[in-house]
Amino acid sequence: MLKGHLDAIVLAALEAGPAHGYAIIESIKRGSASTFDLPEGTVYPALHRLEEAGLLSSAWMTPPGGRRRRLYSLTKAGSAALADRRKAWSRFSQAVDTLLDEDRPWPA
Amino acid sequence: MAGVIDDYVAALRRDLDFDPPLARRLADEVEAHLWDAAEADPSGPSPEAQQRAVARFGLAREIAAQFAADAIDRQAKRTWMMLAATVAVTFIAMRLRVLWLDDFGASMSALAPLIDRYAFIAALAVGVIGWFVCRRSLAPLAICLGGLAASIAAGIARAGLFADGAPLHVLLAAAGEIALIGLLSWHVFGLHRRLRRTAMLRNAQ
Repeated sequence: MLKGHLDAIVLAALEAGPAHGYAIIESIKRGSASTFDLPEGTVYPALHRLEEAGLLSSAWMTPPGGRRRRLYSLTKAGSAALADRRKAWSRFSQAVDTLLDEDRPWPA
Repeated sequence: MAGVIDDYVAALRRDLDFDPPLARRLADEVEAHLWDAAEADPSGPSPEAQQRAVARFGLAREIAAQFAADAIDRQAKRTWMMLAATVAVTFIAMRLRVLWLDDFGASMSALAPLIDRYAFIAALAVGVIGWFVCRRSLAPLAICLGGLAASIAAGIARAGLFADGAPLHVLLAAAGEIALIGLLSWHVFGLHRRLRRTAMLRNAQ
């Protein structure tokens, strides 16, 4: 189920600013209180797919005395796509909440 | 002695051999990721910490299979675009040949015009159906490639293009369709290789 939303989650993880793959995974784990403990490698196909779609850009960066890493950033199209996905998720989750509400079982 | 992370990165690079630039880039990214993870381990970057970092990352073949599946979508899209370009140029070249032949009345064979026309129509029909029904399948692309190649070969034989000193625009159109059919073959073969590689990676999991 998470797999279908991974692209949106990755976009949201990058909203705060550019980050490399490891930092993105850590951010997802922290943000979900470790509920989304997916294999860390699965984030890389998503990052490359989003970059191919023009929703992310990336560049190698080497901090002084640090390890060379590839940093990913949201593009304008990525920010717009994230806003769209948020709206779609909000509608979807409200509908599911309504259907699963214990106080108002469905069908009525 | 190579460490756990080095071994893992080497395995990932091998499994991504269908796309060498991607393999190089991802190997560097994953290596940095795994060292970050191992160094963040409470025990420090020990062999056990490296092992845990690799285990959390997932199987190299699973990661490679996801990349291969994405690569199929991109390769299929490029191949269909190449097919559309080949169909358009073949049609233009065919019309130019027919106009030129009408002027000169130089049909060399009774069979060639039929193959020229109907192989093209068959390829077009299969292409349209394939696009709507099975876009990621190799079969419609291979059939279209065969049909277009037969049409182009018959058209060129029919006109005796390179023997009779055809006008430059007719020759250029024929050269264009030959070049495009070559590129299309290369794309279809590339898609075939990627489909086979993805199936291998998935079966090996």
